Amino acid sequence: MVVPTVEPSDEALAARAAAGDDRAFEQIVERYEGRIFRLACRLTSDTDAPDVLQETFLQVHRHLSSFRHESQFGTWLYRIATNAALMHRRARARRAAEPLDAFLPRFDAQGGHAATPAELQLPARADELLDQQALAARAREAIQRLPESYRDPFVLRDLEEMSTADVAHALSLEPATVRQRVHRARLMLRGYLSDLVGVKP
Amino acid sequence: MSEIACVSGVDLLMDYLEGALAADVRAALDAHVAGCERCVAFIESYRATPRILKQVTAASLPADVQQSLRTFLRSQGLVPPGDW
Repeated sequence: MVVPTVEPSDEALAARAAAGDDRAFEQIVERYEGRIFRLACRLTSDTDAPDVLQETFLQVHRHLSSFRHESQFGTWLYRIATNAALMHRRARARRAAEPLDAFLPRFDAQGGHAATPAELQLPARADELLDQQALAARAREAIQRLPESYRDPFVLRDLEEMSTADVAHALSLEPATVRQRVHRARLMLRGYLSDLVGVKP
Repeated sequence: MSEIACVSGVDLLMDYLEGALAADVRAALDAHVAGCERCVAFIESYRATPRILKQVTAASLPADVQQSLRTFLRSQGLVPPGDW
């Protein structure tokens, strides 16, 4: 008879790891390393992400005993990873953010869209029209070019699909500010995709 | 709120798509979008933007990075010695 194995919950593993069970900590790492690496790439860069990954799990281990079960373990861990990424970035020479304002939509004097419907729709097809690898490289570049105040809320909410409340908490912002910045980041990135497919945004 | 221009629609778009607008504003925008091909097209590409960026930036963990993480955590005594 096959006995189905029930995976322990994150919270159960965290409790065991906090009590000194290093196998439980190993399981936490296995469960989250891929997701944390992806987040780190999005918030920093491919070259910085390995350091952020190590720093995150070091911090998680250090603070396991202060995990209070008020939030889900995953949310708590993402918050630590976000901080690790932001600290890492701060330690680097600050790159002058290149504003993407030129990629915001254009309007005529009456407030109507200046572009044609076909032009306005085209960025939606960027993934069919462009080579996947080239698009991936340009997309990473575009996200890095966003001013940090827009980049972080956009990455956490739209790419990592965290709730507005969790993003606000992680970045110490008001929820309304998170929403405004996510919206503006989407507008800029939409224009960037438009430029990539050859249409002036 | 009777007449809406595309530019206001763009300002309100996130709230519009997430159902966060007051009913009268929503109705005015619905009416505008119903008669505006440009806004329909714009909304399509606005919605596609996070989807496309999410898909193309979904990095997977390279084996060497995974190995370095494990070596590091072992060196710190945070995980058991031996094969992982």
